[in-house]
Amino acid sequence: MSGPTAFGRGRTAAGGISLAKRTTSTMKQASISEFFEKNKHFLGYDTLQRSIITAVKEAVDNSLDACEEHRILPDIAIELRKVPKKNDRIIMVSQDNGPGIPSKSIEKVFGSLLFGSRFHTIRQTRGQQGIGITGVVMYSQLTTGKTTRVTSKITKEATALQMDIGLDTKKNAALVSNRTRTHDFLDYNGMPVEHGLKVEAPMKAKFQRGRKSVGQYLRMTSIVNPHATIRYRAIDDNGEIIEEFVAERVTDRLPRPVRSIKPHPHGLEIGALNRLLRDSTERRMSLFLRHTFSGVPMRAMKETLSHAEVDPATTPNEVSPEEAQRILNAFNTVRLMAPPTDCLSPIEDLLIKKGLSKSVDSAFVATVTRPPNVSLGNPFQVEVGLIFGREDIPADGAVDVLRFANRVPLMYQQGGCLLTKAIESVSWKGYGLEQPGGKGVPKGAATILVHLASTNVQFTSEAKEAVADNEEVHNEIRLALQEVGRHLKNHRKKSAQKAKAQEKFELVNEILPAISTKASSLLGREEPDLAPVITRIMNAVFCEDEVTWDKEAKVHRCRIKIHNYTARPRAYSILAQYPETDTATFVENELGGRREVKGIWCWKLDTIPPGEAGNIEFSIQGLEHNDWNATEVFFRGSGDIIGASKIDEGILEQIRTEEEIATKKALEESNMALDDAMGHDADNSGDLDAEELQKAMMGPIGERLEHSDAEEAIAQHDIDDSGTLDREELLDATQSDTSRQSGLGEWGDE
Amino acid sequence: MMSEAKSREEVIESLNQVAAEMHDKMLKGQPPTMTLPVRSKTNIEFNKKLGVYKYGKKQTIRDATSLGSARQLLRALHVIDFIEEMIDTAKSSTLREMYYISEGWGLGKFGTQNESNNIAEDLEIVTRCMREDFKLRPEEDGARMIGNVTIEERNRRGDWMRINCRDDVGDSGYGLPYNVEPEKIRLIDQDIDFIMAIETGGMFDRLVENGFDESARCALIHLKGQPARSTRRMIKRMSETWGKPVMVFADCDPWSFRIFASIAYGAIKTAHISEYLATPSSTYLGITADDILAYDLPSDKLTPKDIEALKAELTDPRFATSEWQDQINMMLDEGQKAEQQALAKYGLDFVTDTYLPEKLAEYGLSI
Repeated sequence: MSGPTAFGRGRTAAGGISLAKRTTSTMKQASISEFFEKNKHFLGYDTLQRSIITAVKEAVDNSLDACEEHRILPDIAIELRKVPKKNDRIIMVSQDNGPGIPSKSIEKVFGSLLFGSRFHTIRQTRGQQGIGITGVVMYSQLTTGKTTRVTSKITKEATALQMDIGLDTKKNAALVSNRTRTHDFLDYNGMPVEHGLKVEAPMKAKFQRGRKSVGQYLRMTSIVNPHATIRYRAIDDNGEIIEEFVAERVTDRLPRPVRSIKPHPHGLEIGALNRLLRDSTERRMSLFLRHTFSGVPMRAMKETLSHAEVDPATTPNEVSPEEAQRILNAFNTVRLMAPPTDCLSPIEDLLIKKGLSKSVDSAFVATVTRPPNVSLGNPFQVEVGLIFGREDIPADGAVDVLRFANRVPLMYQQGGCLLTKAIESVSWKGYGLEQPGGKGVPKGAATILVHLASTNVQFTSEAKEAVADNEEVHNEIRLALQEVGRHLKNHRKKSAQKAKAQEKFELVNEILPAISTKASSLLGREEPDLAPVITRIMNAVFCEDEVTWDKEAKVHRCRIKIHNYTARPRAYSILAQYPETDTATFVENELGGRREVKGIWCWKLDTIPPGEAGNIEFSIQGLEHNDWNATEVFFRGSGDIIGASKIDEGILEQIRTEEEIATKKALEESNMALDDAMGHDADNSGDLDAEELQKAMMGPIGERLEHSDAEEAIAQHDIDDSGTLDREELLDATQSDTSRQSGLGEWGDE
Repeated sequence: MMSEAKSREEVIESLNQVAAEMHDKMLKGQPPTMTLPVRSKTNIEFNKKLGVYKYGKKQTIRDATSLGSARQLLRALHVIDFIEEMIDTAKSSTLREMYYISEGWGLGKFGTQNESNNIAEDLEIVTRCMREDFKLRPEEDGARMIGNVTIEERNRRGDWMRINCRDDVGDSGYGLPYNVEPEKIRLIDQDIDFIMAIETGGMFDRLVENGFDESARCALIHLKGQPARSTRRMIKRMSETWGKPVMVFADCDPWSFRIFASIAYGAIKTAHISEYLATPSSTYLGITADDILAYDLPSDKLTPKDIEALKAELTDPRFATSEWQDQINMMLDEGQKAEQQALAKYGLDFVTDTYLPEKLAEYGLSI
C-alpha cells in the first residue's frame, strides 16, 4: 500500500465534508498561492488548454459525488463562454441539480484548500486528482484577479443564495462579497431550481477541440457515468455556439454507494504499520488486529500473534519495532481472508455498453466486467469495452483508447500508462484488428475502453494521469481484453457468414426466379421447377436469427430459423444464448426445451425435410430495451449450419464446473465467517446470544447481516426458539447473500 | 454492316441459344450457365491461316452458384431481350444508352458502364456476332486521318460524299465514323506509299504541320492511345485493299507495345474478331528501346506499374518473338522510357528531317 492520497478532496458540504482538522505543518505557513504556483503541473493547471479541463473536471466531479451521495440522478450543464476582447479568457459555468450547499458551508467548500488524511477510510473515490473546487477559485483569482460566483439552492429554503467568492491566500480563507438571496435561479429549461449549485468562474484558458478537450472529457465522463445527463456548450466571443452536445442518461440506476473498508494486511509496509500501532487507541493487540484491518478473522489473529510471538494482551503503542516486523512477516504466512470487494463500484457490462453506444454510432459493442480481485491488499476490478465498426474515424488509424480510473477519464500520458500497456500486450491480429509489427496499440475503426476501479489506484506520478505498473492488474486487463477480442472475432466471423448467407438467399429467392422467367419468356417455353436447382445451389443448412424489442408488450422476441437447403432430412438440437438475470423470465416459448447452463437454453427440433425450415420463437420479459440485441446460436447434430456454431461440450462442462465452484466458494466463505462469529461465543455455550451476535457483526460476518440487527436476525432464524442462534441457524442467517453466480465467463468461444 | 454480316434471324437465333443453355440446365435441376472462352493472355493462340491471334479452346463456365455470376446471367438475358427488340424495331443505341436503359431492368440493372460493355462483348463472343449486328454502338469516336486518300462516306441522308483526306479537310483531318464497313465507307483512290499510325495527338499535329504526309507520301492516322475498333478496322481495310505497309510510331513504353500488338496481332479483349481488326503486316517503327540510347533522348524512369506491365508482356504469346523479347528486356535493363515528343530535344523539324527518314530507310522506305 502506498499510503493515502496526498490531498483529500472536500465534497460539497451537504454531502458531509470529511476534512481533517489538522493542517500539515509544511503547508500552514507557506503562502497558499505560492504552493499552488509551484505545484500547478500536478494540480492540473500547467497549460491554458489543460487548466480549463481541470476546472470543468473539478466542478463535474463535485456534482457527481454530491448527487451520488444524495441518490439524485445527476443533470449537469457545462458552458464555456469566451470573453470578448480578451485573449485566452473564458468563463466556465457549471450547474447541477445536486443537493446544493447550506449557506454556512459554502465558504468552507469554495474558500479553503482542504488537506485531509484519509488513511483510515479506504474506498473507491473519484476525487483522486487536483485539489477540488477551491483550486478553481484560486486559479480564477490568480489569472484574472476576479472572484467566482456561486449560486446554491437547498430544498428547504425558498430562495437561492448567491455570493462572489475570492481567496485570502495568507489566511487560507474565503473572502465573500455581494452576498444576496435570489428567486432567479433557473435550470436549462428556464424552470426554477428546486435544489442545485451553479458556479461561474472566469479564468485564463484556451478553448480547443479534439482528443484533449473539455468536450472529449465530458463525453468520456458520460460513458462511465451512464446515470448522468451531461449538457455541454461552448460559446465564441461573438455569441456563436462552437461546440454543443447533450449526453442523456441511459439508466436510472445510480451507482452502488461505495463503502469504506479497513486496510488489508497484504501490501502493508512497516512504516504504515508502525504509524497505525502508534496512533491506535485499542487496549490489546488482539483487538487492534481485529478492528484495524479487514480480512483478519479470529483464527488468523490468533495465528498471527502466536507466529510473531506477541502477547495478545500487549497495548499496541508498546509494540516494539522488532515485534512489528515479526507481525508483518506473520501476515504473509498466515491464511487471511481476502478484503471485501463489494466496496467497489464497477459500471457493469450493460451500462458500459449503453454508455458507449450513446456516445458513438457503431456496429458492434462488447464489454467485460472481470470479477473483483486483490493486489497487495487492495481490492480492484477491471472493466473493458470494445466498439468496432465506427464510421466516424478512419479505419487505418490507431484505435481510440479511453482510459478511466474510478470513473475518472485519464486524458494525458497515454503511452506510459499501465492501461495502455495492457492493450499493447494483447496480440490483436488474432482477433481481427491490425497491429503493425504484432505489438502496440492496434489499428482500426474501433474504440477500446479500460476502466480500473480500486480503493487505491497507484499512479506513476503526482499528476495522476497514468496508472503505475502492477502485474495483477495488468493480467486482469489482458484477460478482459482477450475476452472482448474473442467476442469481436466471433462477431466478425458471424457477420461474414451472415453476409454470405444473405447473398445466397438473394440469389435463390430473387435472381434465380428472375433468370427463369426471363429465359422462359425469351424462348416461349414453360418455366422450369426451381426447387431442385435451389438445393443444388445452396447445398447447406442456414441459420437466421434475430432479436427484436416489442415496445408494446415490453418483451424481447427472439426468432431462430433453420433452413435445410440440402437433399437430405436434418435433425438438430439448437442452443441459444440469452441474458440470464434475476429479472429475465421466458414468457413465450412454445417449443419448451430446457436450461442447459447459465445463459444457454436448448431446444430439440423436429427433423427438417429438404427444402424446409425449422422455427424457434421465444420471448423474454424483464429486460430493458438495450439489454439484449443479438443472440448466438449453437447446435448439436451432424454437418455444418451456416450462421451457427457447433456447441463445444467441453466448454459447457467447464461452465457447469465453474458454477459449482462458485457456489461452493460462497459456502466456504460463509463457513469461515461463521467460525469467526462463533469465536464470539464468549460463554462457550455453543450458541450466540444477542450480545455475542452483535459483537460478531463487528467482524466479517457483519457484511452479511448488515441490514438486519442482531435481535432481528435471531428472531428470524432461531428455528428452535431458544433465543440464541446455534451454528446451523447462523449458517442459515448468513446464507441469504451467497447465491451470487459466476458470470458467463469465456464460454462459447468457437 | 460487315460483308459477312448475319441475317436478322441468324442473330436472334444465336442470341436465343444463350437463353436456351440456361433454360436447359434448369430443366435438368442444375444451376443455369453461360459458357464462354477464357479472355486472358493464357488463352490466345496464333491462327496461322488468318495470321492473327484468336481465342484458344479454354472455356469458362459462368454458373449461377454465386450472386455475382447469377446477376451476370440475368443481365445477359435482359441485354438479349433489349437487342432483339431493337432488331425488331430497326433501332440502334449506344452502349451508354443501354447502361441508362438498364435502370428499368430491376434486378438485372448494371452497376457500372463497364459491366454493360463487358456483357455486350460476352454476347459477341458467345454468339460469334459483332456488336454492329446487335445494333450497339461504341461511345468512342474513330481517329483522325490526313493524307492523299480519297474515300466516299454515306452521310445521314443516305448520299455518298466523296472526300479527299488531304484537300477536303481542315488541319484536324478526316474524322473516322464508328462504322467503317463498306456499307458506310468506300475506298476510292490513293497516292501514298504507306500508312503511318501515330500514338499521340501532339506528334500527329507536328507531322501535319511539317507537311510530312506530302513529303513522305503517306496517310497519317492518329491512334488516340489504344485505338478504337473502327480505327483498327480502317487501317486493315486500307492496308489490305491497297497493299500498303503500316508503320506504327508510338512512345517507348510498355503501353505503346500493347497498342502495336492490338493493331498487328489482335487485342486480347477482341480476339474473337481479330481477323477483322488486326493487320499482321504492321511494323513497329519507333520509338524503340535502343532509340533512347542511339539518339540520346531525354527519358523517364520506369514506374513499378511499367515494370509489371513489361514482365507480363514477356509471357504474352504476341510478344514471344526474339525481337520483342530483346526490346522488352532492353527496356527493363535500362529502366527508362521515353515519349515521342522527346525528339523535340533536337528541334521541331528533327523528327521529320532526320529521325523518321532514318527509321523508314531501315524498312526500305526512302523519302
